[in-house]
Amino acid sequence: MAKTALIVDDSPTMRQMVAFTLTNAGFKVIEAEHGIDAVNKVAGGAKMDLVVTDLNMPEMDGITLIKELRKIATFKFTPILMLTTESAEDKKKAGKEAGATGWIVKPFNPELMLKIIAKVMPA
Amino acid sequence: MSNDFAQFQDAFFEEAAEHLAIVEEGLLALEQHPEDLDLLAKIFRSAHSIKGTAGMFGFNAVAQFTHKMETLLDLLRNGQKVVTPQIADLLLKSTDCLKTLIEAAKSNEPVDNEVVQRLTGELAAASESGGQAAPQAGVAAKAASAPAANQGHTYIISWTPPAWLFQRGLDPLQIFKELGALGTLSEVTVDTTKLPELAAMDPETCYLAWTMKLNTVKDRKVVEGVFEFVREDSILKIEEGHEAREENRLQPASPSPLASNPLPIASGLAPAEGEEPKPLGELLVESGAVSRETLDKALSQQKRVGEILVEQQAVTPQQVEQALLKQRQQESAAHAKKTDTASIRVDTAKIDKLINLVGELVITQSMLSDLGARFEMRQMPILLERMAQLERNTREIQERVMGIRMLPIGTAFSRFPRLVRDLSAKAGKKIQLVLSGEETELDKTVIESIGDPLTHLVRNSADHGLEPPEERLDNNKPELGTIRLNAFHEGGSICITVEDDGRGLNRDKILAKGIKQGLITENDKLSDDQIWALIFKPGFSTAEKVTDVSGRGVGMDVVKRNIEALGGTVSIKTALGKGTTFTLKLPLTLAIIDGMTVRVGQETYIVPLLSILESIQPKPEVIKTVVGKGELINVRGTYLPMMRMYEVFSLQPEYTDPTKAILLILETEGERVAVMVDEILGQQQVVIKSMEQNFRKVEGVAGATILGDGTVGFILDVRGLLEMARRGTPVAA
Repeated sequence: MAKTALIVDDSPTMRQMVAFTLTNAGFKVIEAEHGIDAVNKVAGGAKMDLVVTDLNMPEMDGITLIKELRKIATFKFTPILMLTTESAEDKKKAGKEAGATGWIVKPFNPELMLKIIAKVMPA
Repeated sequence: MSNDFAQFQDAFFEEAAEHLAIVEEGLLALEQHPEDLDLLAKIFRSAHSIKGTAGMFGFNAVAQFTHKMETLLDLLRNGQKVVTPQIADLLLKSTDCLKTLIEAAKSNEPVDNEVVQRLTGELAAASESGGQAAPQAGVAAKAASAPAANQGHTYIISWTPPAWLFQRGLDPLQIFKELGALGTLSEVTVDTTKLPELAAMDPETCYLAWTMKLNTVKDRKVVEGVFEFVREDSILKIEEGHEAREENRLQPASPSPLASNPLPIASGLAPAEGEEPKPLGELLVESGAVSRETLDKALSQQKRVGEILVEQQAVTPQQVEQALLKQRQQESAAHAKKTDTASIRVDTAKIDKLINLVGELVITQSMLSDLGARFEMRQMPILLERMAQLERNTREIQERVMGIRMLPIGTAFSRFPRLVRDLSAKAGKKIQLVLSGEETELDKTVIESIGDPLTHLVRNSADHGLEPPEERLDNNKPELGTIRLNAFHEGGSICITVEDDGRGLNRDKILAKGIKQGLITENDKLSDDQIWALIFKPGFSTAEKVTDVSGRGVGMDVVKRNIEALGGTVSIKTALGKGTTFTLKLPLTLAIIDGMTVRVGQETYIVPLLSILESIQPKPEVIKTVVGKGELINVRGTYLPMMRMYEVFSLQPEYTDPTKAILLILETEGERVAVMVDEILGQQQVVIKSMEQNFRKVEGVAGATILGDGTVGFILDVRGLLEMARRGTPVAA
């Protein structure tokens, strides 16, 4: 069965690119445009195999989202990767403390992204 | 960056434009409310988004510059610095610069680096002085360790992960798998000493620690990289085992890592099936054999094909130069082709609705064909009913499809707060801009074309319309002048008004100027509207002095011409001392026009309704023939050129006598012409089909359309007809 990934980013372009990469890698992709949207999309008990989230977003930022997701039973052990820019060292730390599994540094290419995903996803 | 993402570039540029508008609008609002943190957060997010995405496409100039802006914005957002007018100004200028950089990335054009450098410096300075400097993490890649001989290492790794490992979704098994992929993982032992009694155990806590041996050709950094997400929180020791050194000693040292057989390195990185083989240099960097800097340096020493060929005297430098020129031309041609395809982002709700409507259309169609298969005359009422339904469906689909191209006019309005801000500073006037009706939708192409005319009108209001503060106070007006921009729908058109509460148009001044310029004579009896129309004449300006802002020859005539080119009209309402309102009336779309269908002989033509002033049946005495000028017709004292359409298009008319035919008085850009046709058939909306694209340009014809009976009707080009009339030579088509 195809694995499902939740992509959370307020930039449609970025969402498209992440979705493109993951879809090509065989994922079923669900997109959300910010934290609240993401929480709503999994509210029905939808289980994800992977979450990739941006940090700077309106309504609910990535860090808060990670905290919220970790509170949900089905997301307790789900790999959550955050998209960060190379300079956001403090954000990386905050993300980790919130429960992020790892991070993907922007700019990335599809290959690099899949490599990082492989790091946290059981094959 | 990766070519895989190139397909998303258009989307990026569109998104970047939106973010730029948010940043600009936000900064302008910030000047009024410097303490608004929500606003700052919004501006920051937009800048951040541009930066992140630009990096993905390799637009490094954009990413780097945005980074500088972002650093300053971050300091403001965190309250480490406060918004001063200087900072707001700097950020606005930087936004302009960023706009230019993005445009440059789009068109592949070079930019004025001096401005970029200067603003970069200013941004950096503003970010440093006071407040602490932004954390500059990862300033420069750490100097890569000297390339080590890659004969293989044995690492003894001991790892005590943090207790909360699982709670971040991390799994030690993944780490072992990854290590295993680097080489041979052996002697994995687990330390269970911290494991509590079963009853006291929390299954979500990690109590274990491991030691293991890894044989690998990879560098220590690669091994460390496996622990990237846990390193800081773990107790991790990676020591080079003694065995490895023994092995190293036994094996012959390779002369140079660059020249060595790359196979043992590559074998560890055997590309997965379907993966593109990587360049040697990339593999060497990944394996840690050389640093990125060393590789880049080596690559930069590579000579270009042209240089090598010239050195071998196989070609001349000129030949290379020419070939390069050709290459560049091909590149830019390819690029131009690409940028032609403009994209549009559509609300999914609009598309959903459209899909529903098409569904209904299909149902109606199947109902009709069902009826048609076994039709009897008594079913006529049902047929008519269903035809009516088909018409409803069609009309609604047409409207919705047009709606896809519709954008809120707010995108065209968004540039004005900035413009007015700059204008008021320049002219030393206090001006407020009030926008309304931003949500009014109109065709994307129309929006793109009205930007310049609107800008001109707003400039005009700020420069000529509004008085300086002293004058306003003298006249019992508030010091603060107001310019209002409003958009609203009216019938099938959209109206945009530009209104100011300034001094209004001065009738006497305009008259005097008109006489001076020979546009009118002192004896002319002109109505107010006719006088106001004078300001649309080319070269007409009542400005006493040429200012920085307007009065440089590009005048209202251009505004009028541009609006009329869109099939629209401009009108003026003004009251001396109270203000002036310019009203632009535009069609909702350029793809459909309201037309009057007329008949000439057996042919049907469509005349754009907007350009028809009136239709008359002339009396014999009003028609004059002037040598060299053709026929003229006297319409209430004004002579207009008359064109016989049957002559223009070489047709067999019903009437050759103007007194029996119909004359349509058409106007465009303030000029008039009388066009003679046989009959007026009626009024209808027509869909414009391009002539140039499907046939060739025909003078006097703006396009074609398919009429109700399936025949083709030509749409008259009033502008073109006027030019033909001016030349006095009706050209047979």
